[in-house]
Amino acid sequence: MEEFTDKISLTVQKGKVDINSPYPPDMKGQPGADELTREALDAGVPANDILNNALIPAMAIVGGLFREKKLFVPQVLMSARAMSRAMVHLKPYFTSGEIKERGTFVVGTVAGDLHDIGKNLASMMIEGSGWRVVDLGVDVKSEKFIDAAREYPGCIVGMSALLTTTMESMEKAVKEMKTLLPAQRIIVGGAPLNAEFAARIGADLYAQTPQAAVSYLNSL
Amino acid sequence: MTGKEYIRNAFLLKENDRPAWLPFVGCHGAFLTSETADIYLSSAEKIVKGLEEAIVKYAPDGLPVTFDLQLEAEALGCHLLFSPSNPPAVVSHPVEEGFPVDELPDFSEILRKRDGRLGDALRAAEIITSRHPEIAFFGLVTGPLTLALHLMGTSLFTEMFENPDKVNRVMEYCTDVAELMSEAYIEAGCGVIAVVDPMTSQIDPLTFEMFVSENSKRLFAKIREMNTLSSFFVCGQAEHNLELMAACGPDNISVDENIPLKEVKRVAEGAGISFGGNLKLTTTLLLGTEEECERDALECIDTGGNRGYILAPGCDLPMNTPVANLIAVSSLVRDKYRQDVLRNSSVKITAEEIPDISSRWITGKAIVDVVTLDSASCAPCSYMMELTNRLLPLFDGKVEVYEHKIKTHEGLAMMKALGVTKIPTICINGEPLFISQTPPLLKLADAVKERI
Repeated sequence: MEEFTDKISLTVQKGKVDINSPYPPDMKGQPGADELTREALDAGVPANDILNNALIPAMAIVGGLFREKKLFVPQVLMSARAMSRAMVHLKPYFTSGEIKERGTFVVGTVAGDLHDIGKNLASMMIEGSGWRVVDLGVDVKSEKFIDAAREYPGCIVGMSALLTTTMESMEKAVKEMKTLLPAQRIIVGGAPLNAEFAARIGADLYAQTPQAAVSYLNSL
Repeated sequence: MTGKEYIRNAFLLKENDRPAWLPFVGCHGAFLTSETADIYLSSAEKIVKGLEEAIVKYAPDGLPVTFDLQLEAEALGCHLLFSPSNPPAVVSHPVEEGFPVDELPDFSEILRKRDGRLGDALRAAEIITSRHPEIAFFGLVTGPLTLALHLMGTSLFTEMFENPDKVNRVMEYCTDVAELMSEAYIEAGCGVIAVVDPMTSQIDPLTFEMFVSENSKRLFAKIREMNTLSSFFVCGQAEHNLELMAACGPDNISVDENIPLKEVKRVAEGAGISFGGNLKLTTTLLLGTEEECERDALECIDTGGNRGYILAPGCDLPMNTPVANLIAVSSLVRDKYRQDVLRNSSVKITAEEIPDISSRWITGKAIVDVVTLDSASCAPCSYMMELTNRLLPLFDGKVEVYEHKIKTHEGLAMMKALGVTKIPTICINGEPLFISQTPPLLKLADAVKERI
């Protein structure tokens, strides 16, 4: 069992998607997350073990290395791609209830902001830590965030802004949500933000890196 | 000396008597002329008007013609979404959507037509450079990696591993585009080409070497061949790639506040090139007070020095950056006295150190406190002290005059106690009355008389 989970974990950490992927060069011709997950399930490894003992710890390692600037966007995207390929095989177990998600994370870029690389990266890491991600996309108005928060009770909301001007939209969205739903937890992220700004607008956390968001979510 | 000479000196590592000043007025030009960003960035005439406003208000040594990293992408077929308060954003990526790399358009043909916003930017460059030969105008070119991202979307990153040959072909194409764009800006009169490549912050050094280094070296060599100065400009946390950027052969590297200026200086000096940056865009210029902006600028100036350094914001100025904040920075650049005042007043004074001055005032007497930098070394302070001392014979013992030099800890504590914020200031019986201006003796004497 452990041999399977260790191998799957390694493919996710290294971004080895499937046997045909040329990346990473030192794993050329070897099975990737795709084949190994299928094989593990066929051999009777519980889906929950694959998720909790292989995929989630692997993405946590990747997130940590990204935070430490030992991995960068291209490598993290490859890991996320490997993770998603493994998840395809696990999907039926989520549907049947054999695997339970840790919670729901609703995410989007705020009104006026179309830059979604940061949001997508954070979503992948959060999904990779066992959360269900509801992606509202880009240019999301406050009302849409509020509607989603109502639709998924107990969810955590993530808002992203890359531009200095859309920081104002973020302030509006956070304030409106906190007025209507005072207990709603909100994480904010994006290049021009800082912790001081997050505190000023009433957000619960400024996540400088995706891993900071993951750590916060998993501490709840 | 003209602004252009200040910029050129900085690029050539020659000593300047003050830092060269380069405010990145992009869509902020729209704010200066009460336009929206989308309208402004689509009209040569409006861009010129915005730049002329910036020249009047900020007395810059250099200015970018425009700060719009979507121009080339738009001309190559990417769709943009325009915003009234920001530069536009790229929303479609032709290569990611299946457009063949080998069939990407001939950019020299596009340039020849001078259509659309690309034509507007080049026309603006021609007009503004001919009207203001005293200023160094920067032609901002989208860096090859950032343009590749526009064309390929985030598939650029995964294709780096899965299809590196394709990424290399796109990077070579984007470098060709950047060369042609540089040439067009140079022909339009720009004295400096800034290659702006913010995506550099998102890749590791090995990936930089694989896809960016050789292309950028070719680009900077081409700009040099055209006898023009160049800058490699990056926003974001790109510290890990700074040495590689410098090794690509630009004349300058410029960064935002994510990278400590000291580190940029170290790398630039090691490579024998100049550097620029990195006023804080949001926390200070957009949201801070004038004094916070001055202090941030002073920190940059003191780190950068007068050789090989250009004072600039970290990136494109947010559209509604308060004008007063930029004027404060612009004035500070030329005001050595104000720089000294700020340096000397940066010491923190605790509440316990502020003296209780409630028993200082005596009925029938006027206590005149003059808060100065130091009248022995600062001309305006010395005039003010000289004038104030002339009160003594006029009032025959009814006036006492004290100088409080903010170069000393006690002087600073007294400045706080008196509630003085500007230097030099004359207070009579604790009331700050003459702030940063020396009044005529008669006026000062009248003010004293009223308060005895």
